[in-house]
Amino acid sequence: MGTDTREIADLIARCALRDRAAFQDLYGRTSAKLYGVTLRILKDRAEAEEALQEVYVKIWQRADRYVPGGFSPISWLVAVARNHALDVLRARKPQGDDIDVALDVADAGPDPEQSAADRDERSRIDRCLGQLDADKADAVRGAYLDGYSYEELASRHKVPLNTMRTWLRRSLLKLRECLSA
Amino acid sequence: MSDDANIPGEHEDELLAAEYALGLLTPAEHATVGARLRADPALRADLRFWRARLASLDWGFAETTAPAAVWPRLERRLFAEPARGGWWNSLALWRALSAAALAVAVVAIGIDLAMPRPDPNAFAAQLVAALSAQGSDVNVVALYNATTGQVRLTTISGTAVADKDYELWAIEGSNPPRSMGVIPVTQNVDVKITPDILAGFGPGTTLAISLEPKGGSKTGAPTGPVVAAGKAARI
Repeated sequence: MGTDTREIADLIARCALRDRAAFQDLYGRTSAKLYGVTLRILKDRAEAEEALQEVYVKIWQRADRYVPGGFSPISWLVAVARNHALDVLRARKPQGDDIDVALDVADAGPDPEQSAADRDERSRIDRCLGQLDADKADAVRGAYLDGYSYEELASRHKVPLNTMRTWLRRSLLKLRECLSA
Repeated sequence: MSDDANIPGEHEDELLAAEYALGLLTPAEHATVGARLRADPALRADLRFWRARLASLDWGFAETTAPAAVWPRLERRLFAEPARGGWWNSLALWRALSAAALAVAVVAIGIDLAMPRPDPNAFAAQLVAALSAQGSDVNVVALYNATTGQVRLTTISGTAVADKDYELWAIEGSNPPRSMGVIPVTQNVDVKITPDILAGFGPGTTLAISLEPKGGSKTGAPTGPVVAAGKAARI
């Protein structure tokens, strides 16, 4: 773990102990990234701003769920922000399904396979996406980064919904095979 | 691989996990998979696979300075709220916070009004805070006695954890947690508050219990899961 990663992990741990100064420090260091997440997915400044606030409320309330040594702390924070933004997309407002959201966060937890350096992982997913047709790779990126559903992808790529679903499912199987190798 | 629109059934769960992780599903489908995940460890493992791999795409989220208004609002929302409903409200809040912790615990900090006290303003009201966490049967009540300068921890129920100790911490505002020592959860105990901790003790003080290696944290800071925390609030 790099120094920065360790420091972020430490700040999250201190938030779990209700350390407000740590929370403020964490906000200062990570809010630009998480605002980038909510803005990219929600594509509306007011909504993204509102979502960002909710995201940090969740981080403060659920900091004890972060398990050091598993998911990198920044990935964990991004997962909280991304899941929340997707909930907003799905329901226009958070569904308030604490169990579901909590599970989302908890499941972003320890992964013994998550040991490779971020840089290696990044080149790996780029390489694997590169093995897909360009428009299929774009669709996967669009789903992850922009929160596009099957319906939106179908309309963007001007294909019927079922066609998009079939395309993408085949691509995901290929992607899984490549990422598992 | 099949040329049909139908994906072979053996891959169905792997695909569902990918679709769930990517957020491709309709709200109804998403909720259905979410419900299945709770009861299906294999599906959760598939989801972990995808989340870990897809997290490598996180660099694609461009950093954008958050609007200046967010932090003050957040601070007001989280920290400036009066303790509405007091104890019970807090209990519900804390329960939501700590589902992953190892023990269920309730900490109540009571300040006895009848006792002489070092600072009448600080202790003018009874203070209480509570936390519970899923997964264990520990219940602790803590009562502050101003005369003795001690916190009495009364265990309602609780189980010791092999090769681990529980450690009590005091947190004042933005200061780092300070250890109040290792505590048993299988018997009642009086914990002496050292003068430096006592100086700031009162409304706003957080007491927290973490699970630490035998003998307590070696670093002077909490290292294990927080199984209980209670912030003193007026009721």
